[in-house]
Amino acid sequence: MSEMKKIKNLKEFSTSADRFEGANLLCPGCAHSIIVREVLNATNDDMVLSASTGCLEVCTAVYPYTSWDASWIHIGFENSSTAVAGAESMYKALKKKGRLKQPDRNPKFVSFAGDGASYDIGFQWISGCMERGHNIMHIVLDNEVYANTGGQRSSSTPIGSSATTSPAGKVSYGEKKNKKDMMTIMAAHGIPYAAQVSPNKWKDMVKKIQHGFAVEGPVFINAVSPCTTEWKFDPKDTMHLADLATDSLVFPLYEIIDGRELNITYRPKNVVPVEEYLAAQGRFKHLFKDEYKYLIKEWQERVDANWAYLQRREEARV
Amino acid sequence: MAKKGWDEFEIGAMLRTFNGKIDDIAGTRQENRDYSENSSYTASVADWRLIKPVFNKDYCIDCQFCWVYCPDVSIISRDQKLIGIDMDHCKGCGICVEVCPTNPKSLLMFPEQADEETEIASWPKKDEKEA
Amino acid sequence: MAFDKMELREIEVWDGNFAAAQALRQAQVDVVAAYPITPSTPIVEGYAQFTADGYVEGEFVMVESEHAAMSACIGAAAAGGRVATATSSQGLALMSETLYQASGMRLPVVLNLVNRALAAPLNVNGDHSDMYMIRDSGWVQFDAFCPQEVYDLNLIAFRVSEDHGVRLPAIVNQDGFMTSHTAQGVKPLSDDAAYAFVGQYKPMNDMLDFEHPVTHGVQTEEDWHFEHKARQHNDLMTKVMPKIESVFAEFAQLTGRKYTPVEKYDMDDADVCVVCLGTSVETAREVAKEMRAQGIKAGVVGLRVIRPFPFFQIADALKGVKAIATLDRSSPNGAAGMLFNEVAGALFNTDTKALLSGYIYGLGGRDLTKAHLVALFKELQANVDAGKVTTQLQQFIGVRGPKLAFL
Repeated sequence: MSEMKKIKNLKEFSTSADRFEGANLLCPGCAHSIIVREVLNATNDDMVLSASTGCLEVCTAVYPYTSWDASWIHIGFENSSTAVAGAESMYKALKKKGRLKQPDRNPKFVSFAGDGASYDIGFQWISGCMERGHNIMHIVLDNEVYANTGGQRSSSTPIGSSATTSPAGKVSYGEKKNKKDMMTIMAAHGIPYAAQVSPNKWKDMVKKIQHGFAVEGPVFINAVSPCTTEWKFDPKDTMHLADLATDSLVFPLYEIIDGRELNITYRPKNVVPVEEYLAAQGRFKHLFKDEYKYLIKEWQERVDANWAYLQRREEARV
Repeated sequence: MAKKGWDEFEIGAMLRTFNGKIDDIAGTRQENRDYSENSSYTASVADWRLIKPVFNKDYCIDCQFCWVYCPDVSIISRDQKLIGIDMDHCKGCGICVEVCPTNPKSLLMFPEQADEETEIASWPKKDEKEA
Repeated sequence: MAFDKMELREIEVWDGNFAAAQALRQAQVDVVAAYPITPSTPIVEGYAQFTADGYVEGEFVMVESEHAAMSACIGAAAAGGRVATATSSQGLALMSETLYQASGMRLPVVLNLVNRALAAPLNVNGDHSDMYMIRDSGWVQFDAFCPQEVYDLNLIAFRVSEDHGVRLPAIVNQDGFMTSHTAQGVKPLSDDAAYAFVGQYKPMNDMLDFEHPVTHGVQTEEDWHFEHKARQHNDLMTKVMPKIESVFAEFAQLTGRKYTPVEKYDMDDADVCVVCLGTSVETAREVAKEMRAQGIKAGVVGLRVIRPFPFFQIADALKGVKAIATLDRSSPNGAAGMLFNEVAGALFNTDTKALLSGYIYGLGGRDLTKAHLVALFKELQANVDAGKVTTQLQQFIGVRGPKLAFL
């Protein structure tokens, strides 16, 4: 086991030598790369990375350029988890056989995928990896929409969001179904660690990523990734949106250890009304018409109920 | 980069990040890495920008918020100090300015054509209301 | 961690599936990621038992689908080691997306494809629909006609696939049930001799070399994609066949068993012949011998290598023949048939002006009987005698109902 990188504060963190490069083709203000940087900079160990088809993938490995300073693979939309699990299996095999070129390293195997590639098309592959116990970390860059293909709904798209395949219109308020609860589904696999993170809370993120790297077995991370293009806000406001997401408790930050022990890791001092979170985004603009205002109330009730549920689970230690 | 013919590149469309070998990537700063021509580090997205951040070190407290929240690895920090902006990789999103906590801000956005020295010379004063 | 070696007899009685599992064990595959499907399941089960009994040191990963099996194989191959799996039919169909990824990324993987029909209607028996479905996927494709050849071609496939001048994945085909579940005498190599022949895996562009990070699976659009596909095709057309032939020669030196990309039987003076795949080759050989006793100079051509297609070798094998029948064991669904088209293409610009007719047979495991072949050879002789094809160009044989013929 390698020594964990010591990151006491942001100044110390800023001495990290990035292994993700600029001049990628992600939108200005994209939260994906902020998350990727926080994850990669959480360790000094070598990394083997994979990405599912999606914004991160198509914007960081467009021939003849790569933005990755660690080994990286993309196969398809659904299988970044299994791709890196295959690499991890090879690592185990070569370690047993004494054929690793640099046997003294402690590589971390990390798969990145969007919510579409995780909640929808890649769901089975991730579940398989979690069940089999590979020593990998799967990170969802959750922007609640198929952003790469122009904003189609996924099963992560929340109620009332206008997506291109669940658009708001004269007789529709947009997406009708509630977001799939991936965290508890993944935790139900009995994996050693599952956590929800947000890039604005970098220290919480780094702590959770380091915890994930330290445990043996599969780790699931759901990272909220405010999308300037599809959530429709100014690129400069990405971190403001992340603040609203965590402080309105729409994206509560918590972890589930061994599939059971739930810990809330961030309690906002001043909880922001959900309405403020919704109002900051174009995708919810139509909810502010009189006929749909009841949906905002329902949103708040849902968020409150979820927060109460998380707190009850935390107290009950189940 | 010149467009190569079918017989001129690595099989499998495989790309190498570095020329030759690198011993300790996480322990090697970007300026000391031998990037290959295939690393996007060697490319530029400067032409994406309509507005650009200008850094005024007089007010900077080296909190590193801009460093951690920059999506494009464009805030250059060395030895816990902000030393500049990588204008080849900055896309001009303006996040660094938004997250800057000083008063006045140590980073502000200006039109791409603005002259940096002129803007620093006429930097806004402390905003008393905000303080 | 150590692993045990297995003492084998000079002649073992193995079916095609067990022969494949034994070859994978002897090749000391680093990662086998697999998912069971009839009729290839016993390969996976056999390998699982070897693992459980301590004969395997590598990783054996039982995944949740065939798509995941090939996905894990690709990740493992890119990481840098020997990789293999097995599947059939619907399983191949499910993994077909990733087959193009494996070849496009130039990653060596050996896939045992136990040929089976494709639904609908659902059918577990052998035909070549699955083999045909992915014939343009950029994989090297070998065809075994019996369990011995399954064993041999697996060892050969690793050598070809992993060669740094090739670096393309390879499929070893065998007929579902007819080969996979039919036990025959197989002469194996000793564990040491087999591994010495396959050799230790030599990594290339491996993700686990942390001193040389690599990016696999990039995006290329109209400005680069064509060049990459052209490169892959070029290597299939120019580099693979010479490598196969040199590995065949080396294998012959070691075992005395000689393989060629196109196998010819009684072709030196043949007037009529069939071109076919799999177990049908052996049936056709037997009938061809009997036809000679009846005065029809019959021969048989079997394809040992299907991709890259042995264009010149097949033209050479058919030189001087007067009538040829191609036997396609897959519904062409609106075309003439893969072998018909490939053979026609290979002969078109040559001096061989043979009469070519195609037969569709054996779908879903329907037997190809000797009687079918006797009638077929007689039709070919009738074509020779008439100086033209006397039947329609495409005929179905062995199907119930009114005679089915087209073209």
